[in-house]
Amino acid sequence: MGGRLLAIGRAVAFVALALVLCGAIFELAGFSAPDMFAAILDGAFLSDGALAHDLRWACPLFVSAAGVIVAFRCGYFNVGAQGQFYMGAIGATVAVALLPGWPALLVTLVALLAALAFGGLWALWPGWLRIRSGTDEVITTLMGNFIAGLFLIWVTSGPLKDPSGSGQVTSSTPVPAAIRISTDTGVSGWIIGLTVAVGLVTWVLVNRTAFGVLGGLAGRNPVMVTWQGARLSRLGLGAFVFSGATAGLAGAMEVLGPDGRLVSGFSPAHGFTAVLIALVANLSVSGGVIVALFFGGLASASLYLPVIAGLPSAAIDMVNAAIALFITSRVAPWRLVRVPRSRSERR
Amino acid sequence: MSASTAEAALACEGLTVRFGDFTALADVGLAFAPQRIHAVCGQNGAGKTTFARACAGLLAPSSGTIRIEGHQLRVGQVNAARAAGVELVHQSFALPPSFTIAEAMEFGLQGQHGALYTRRRLEERWRGHLETLGVEAKPSARIRDLPVETQQAVEIARALAGEARVLILDEPTAVLAPAAAQALFARLRRLRDSGVTILVILHKIREVLAVADTVSVLRGGRLVEGPAEARDMTPARLAQAIIGSNPVPPSAGRTAAAEEVEDLSALVGATVPHGTVHHRAGAQMITTLSGVSTRPAADGQRLEMVDLRVAAGEIIGIAGVEGNGQRPLVEALAGLVPLTAGAITLDGAAMTDLSLAERRRRGLRIIPFERNTEGLSLSSPLWENFAARQLLSHSALRLIKPKMLRRQARAAFEAWDVRFGAVDHPARSLSGGNAQKVILSREIDADARLIILAQPTRGLDLGATAFVWHAMRQARDRGLGLILISSDLDELFDIADRLIVLQGGRVAGEFRPPYDLGPVGAAMVGSH
Repeated sequence: MGGRLLAIGRAVAFVALALVLCGAIFELAGFSAPDMFAAILDGAFLSDGALAHDLRWACPLFVSAAGVIVAFRCGYFNVGAQGQFYMGAIGATVAVALLPGWPALLVTLVALLAALAFGGLWALWPGWLRIRSGTDEVITTLMGNFIAGLFLIWVTSGPLKDPSGSGQVTSSTPVPAAIRISTDTGVSGWIIGLTVAVGLVTWVLVNRTAFGVLGGLAGRNPVMVTWQGARLSRLGLGAFVFSGATAGLAGAMEVLGPDGRLVSGFSPAHGFTAVLIALVANLSVSGGVIVALFFGGLASASLYLPVIAGLPSAAIDMVNAAIALFITSRVAPWRLVRVPRSRSERR
Repeated sequence: MSASTAEAALACEGLTVRFGDFTALADVGLAFAPQRIHAVCGQNGAGKTTFARACAGLLAPSSGTIRIEGHQLRVGQVNAARAAGVELVHQSFALPPSFTIAEAMEFGLQGQHGALYTRRRLEERWRGHLETLGVEAKPSARIRDLPVETQQAVEIARALAGEARVLILDEPTAVLAPAAAQALFARLRRLRDSGVTILVILHKIREVLAVADTVSVLRGGRLVEGPAEARDMTPARLAQAIIGSNPVPPSAGRTAAAEEVEDLSALVGATVPHGTVHHRAGAQMITTLSGVSTRPAADGQRLEMVDLRVAAGEIIGIAGVEGNGQRPLVEALAGLVPLTAGAITLDGAAMTDLSLAERRRRGLRIIPFERNTEGLSLSSPLWENFAARQLLSHSALRLIKPKMLRRQARAAFEAWDVRFGAVDHPARSLSGGNAQKVILSREIDADARLIILAQPTRGLDLGATAFVWHAMRQARDRGLGLILISSDLDELFDIADRLIVLQGGRVAGEFRPPYDLGPVGAAMVGSH
């Protein structure tokens, strides 16, 4: 219990530090830090309908983060949520395009399954390379993000292009309203239901199955579970595919939900933020719920920044980056004092 | 006849070393007279290695002073100690395996002869030094190709390459076959006669009495004896000092009196035990290996045509100098390396092609070599470490009840007398002996058939060692088969019902009690 409180305190301290740091930088750059904080607070929590706006961003973010949590717990640093998210979105769009005239509900279900499959497959190859030949999954999943991003540009300007589109960014034809799982608000029974389902499944997987315990052990010491008879290849591939599938599902939630169509280069910070949520939540699924709401709030606040504080909405990216900087340093301020070596390290 | 601080080659006063809230050395004051061999002994965890490292400047004491020939040393600085003439030969060797002997000699003396060199110049430079010290190997030979005792001789020669006048050796016999230990002692005596003061850390009484001029005993980080003249010492008095007033074995009352006496003697290495033929193995075979061979591993170790049979109710000891196929043997039994030839059975059924998970399902249990990496996940909670084995015997997606698993772990730990805070604490919170008990509690369960124990007592203090021995005997008496791999011959002689010597990956001999050091030692080095 003490350990958990410490982890929560650490996360809160890092986020606070990051906000203070960004405030100081903006103040120095001639903007008003109090205005900035007011805009964030207003946009994220206080304004009318703020909670609905938070949920619009928080739900897909949480779904992706749930997969990241599983992969990270097993010791695999799948940072390819962005690419898997795009692939899932493409999978859903393809399913919709290939099934004209089918009953709407069936198309929705098939599109969701396609998203799970596309996302999972996009995580399968880095997982397989990692397990077969030890290829660093950070490199492969990161590169996979770029490939998926370019693939998205190609499909939206080629096979799936909306010929009537006139905007600067290309996109697919709109998904018919009957097939969509939410309106442009992005909050609906479907979206909430899917998010809760993913949350529950992930929580049970992590906390109430042998996979959860063994994956956690493998993540911390793969040698030990090998001597216990575990097949790391199965555990590892399972973790990779699960995390890819959830990110893919999040992609479908955007395309079939608030976006309503596949847009080239949409939600470019989604995967990065999902990884950040997993880390700030200290790889806890229940913690992820709170953290996802917070980051959802930040995302929706980014729209308020130009209006209230005169800051570009990209300022939120800076806040995110600052949080990432602190959380990945993995050194709490009180740990900077010299820690004596523990007894177990002594010979 | 202890030397006064002023004329001592090395003297310390009030030496205290703390790691966190643990005191490894407490107020140790010792003075070592020049040109003699001084033994410092004690059981594991008594502070011997800490003492050696503090004297060599490798770690900074929390308080206290160290004087070399009367001059106070700036503590915690290895270069200051080296300049003052103190050198340490480590327990595990630290020479780069790819270096030639000549390069290894030059290593660490940088700056003295310029940065550029040719191999031939180096070899010429060091040939004389090596010959004087009786190192019987070409200076151009590579470290990794040398037998372990020659590597040690090179380590010693390297330590003496500078102006060393005090040489500290940390458990130098731990890696040696019996005959090589005798050769080492002769080497140390020659060095002493040439003017070097020698501090040797040992934990076997008979080795202490064989080589040392004076003896000092550490117990629980405190000096309890010495430096006393070794010729005035008796094994009994030394054993008493090492063990202390608390009698060790928890097996009291459960084992035969004669066995207990042998145990005690094996624990402190007073005399070589000969083993007892008190136990008759059942006729039923638990495991057979026939003609088992493996491909050479990265370190060159392999098995070649190994035949081995383990009957029910039998402890098979595997002796051998480290690196002669012990690890491939365990990995072959675990199914973690493929066999190039041969077959393994468990309870009469072929096991050769089964996965480790399946082997474990059929009753194979393993206590691996490395307690802290292969045996436990130190950063994971204790209950997860305990539950891992049983969780792996079913589907990974099966639902579990963590509460029940925690309760089972707690019950097992209590039954095995583990001293632990809570089952949610990480495994690193335990001492070595308690960590090993956690592993025992996981691996010696009701469904076990064959238990492999690789170096199960390494680094444990006497009480924990006796506990492990007791657990092994109990498992044997339940009719299980056990394979004990150890580099401590005393332990093997005391425990094993039958002894197999591995040399170069082959079975070089098989022995039954009463054991005799001579032939077993000869088989270990291949002069058989």
